[in-house]
Amino acid sequence: MIVALARKTLLNEWRRFLPAVVAVAFSALLLLVQTALVLGIFGSAAIYIEASKGDLWVGYPGTRTVELGRLLPADTEIWVRLDEAVDRVEPYRWIYGDWRVRSDQGAFSMYVSGIDTSADGLMFTRVLPASLRARLEQPDSIVVDVADMDKLGVVLGDRPRINGHAVEVVGTLTGLRTLGGVNILTSLETAGRIQPGGLADERVAYYVVRLRDGANAVDAQRRLNAQGREHGFQVWSRDEFAKVVTRYWLFDTGAGLAVLFLSVVVSLTGAVITSQTLMGAVAGSAPEYAALQALGIGMGALRRVVIEQAAWIGASGLLLGVAGAAAALWMASRNDVPIAVEALPSLACALLVLGISMTSGWAAVRALRQADPASLLR
Amino acid sequence: MNEPQAVQPGQVVLSGRGLAKSFRSGRIDTPILRGLSLEVLAGELTLVSGPSGCGKSTLLALLSGLSRPDGGQVEALGQSLWSLDEQSLERFRLQHTGFVFQGFNLFAALDAVEQVMLPLGALGLSRTAARERAMTALDEVGLAPRAKLRPAEMSGGEKQRVAIARALAKNPQLLFADEPTSALDAANGQMVIDLLHRLARTHRAAVLCVSHDPRVVGHADRVLHMEDGRLLDDTRSGATKGPP
Repeated sequence: MIVALARKTLLNEWRRFLPAVVAVAFSALLLLVQTALVLGIFGSAAIYIEASKGDLWVGYPGTRTVELGRLLPADTEIWVRLDEAVDRVEPYRWIYGDWRVRSDQGAFSMYVSGIDTSADGLMFTRVLPASLRARLEQPDSIVVDVADMDKLGVVLGDRPRINGHAVEVVGTLTGLRTLGGVNILTSLETAGRIQPGGLADERVAYYVVRLRDGANAVDAQRRLNAQGREHGFQVWSRDEFAKVVTRYWLFDTGAGLAVLFLSVVVSLTGAVITSQTLMGAVAGSAPEYAALQALGIGMGALRRVVIEQAAWIGASGLLLGVAGAAAALWMASRNDVPIAVEALPSLACALLVLGISMTSGWAAVRALRQADPASLLR
Repeated sequence: MNEPQAVQPGQVVLSGRGLAKSFRSGRIDTPILRGLSLEVLAGELTLVSGPSGCGKSTLLALLSGLSRPDGGQVEALGQSLWSLDEQSLERFRLQHTGFVFQGFNLFAALDAVEQVMLPLGALGLSRTAARERAMTALDEVGLAPRAKLRPAEMSGGEKQRVAIARALAKNPQLLFADEPTSALDAANGQMVIDLLHRLARTHRAAVLCVSHDPRVVGHADRVLHMEDGRLLDDTRSGATKGPP
């Protein structure tokens, strides 16, 4: 059309179209924030893996998530070390702890990660500064996430008890929060003393493996898995294990399904409001559209006007939604809410939002049927 | 599809033969037109008058290609209108017909010149050419100085003149007007009917106007009186009576 009918009508009757723009904006906001939260929360389940170096993870066969780890046979380390590609094997003690600050208060369960405190240790390199790692060498010292301190009821220097064993909070860091619960870091030895069997039980739940430079990781993993089938362990590549863990939380806990369900509800709501608004607008201008039809302007051109309006609504709603989501996610990140904004999922959300408005446009085109030019002659 | 030839004043450009139409409501068929025939000449303002419900608007819908007759034929500019398919009919309306309705049916968001430009784009005119032609049409209805106003800023008479300019800008050979004055006061109604009359002369268009407004009668070149779906009377302003 040589006259920008769609755009001019949108601007002139913005009050009429506002509900649709707001609906699209809210859909965009909800989808984007929800996606970032889901990725953040479920991605945090793999924090143990993603915050650490190492090429391979060794764990109990069939382990679905780090929290569900089981103790490996004591000879596992030997079998892994025997492989020619293996450069370093680092034990990782993952145990449940019973946290108690004062004897007159209740206790609650949390997770203790016992890690190698040597300067070239692989575990948690990304969140644990070298100086803090060194401080963990002091017996019975622990490091907690700043965001968990209130929950744990401690400040720096406090001496709470884990499984009845007194420890000292020597430092804090950020980025340890996971979906499963509260994590604290300590040395392998302290964790050994904390665990129910004490230091005498040398078994651990995981080993993290660094391969030699230039070693073929796929071959090494295959060889080690062959050993594992005989000796009771399984080997994953780092990325593979992170995916296994995230997938477990997303799909096997039902949480992912809930999120997907919510996305469908959000999309449907957005689509219904948008299409109803557009239909109302079309019906409101039915005599004008009918007059154009009488003058010989085809249904196709009128349809394009409605679709163009839907596109404008989608674009402006998306813009508003993105701005809202950015603000919400900024607030979230300031409050240590785990979020992860990734390009592809965000793009998918944006496309879904545009899809919602375009679908609504197509649905609203039906309202043009009311624009029958013969109805103008009464 | 053969192109219609140039039209001479007095030439029959629109004719209906044996037109019949009835409306079904539930099980009851109510006949609106009962085998009506008429011819409309170019360069004239032909008025169809009659009491409301006599079928005059239905007749207009059938003759203008907006509503298909149950029986009979319409020949417009040498073409049998109702033998055209939907698309050709739309094309025919685009190229040869203009409409003026009782309600002005203008878009609230557009100013006068844009209202008039709107159908011109479909004719393949460029934006500049369309604007030029729209301004000419607005000038012809005396609204060039008001070209930048939106419907909300115009009086009823001005709005109807914009609607006339919109119909006129396409240079149609057939101009249909349905009760164009009934929403207007006396002065504005007068102006609109004068305008339609003048356009029939200057554009050599056949203007077929349906109205029960007695003020219009005096301005028509020819008045067809309708009652109960039939033509009762055919009067020329020169007082010569034609065949009914």
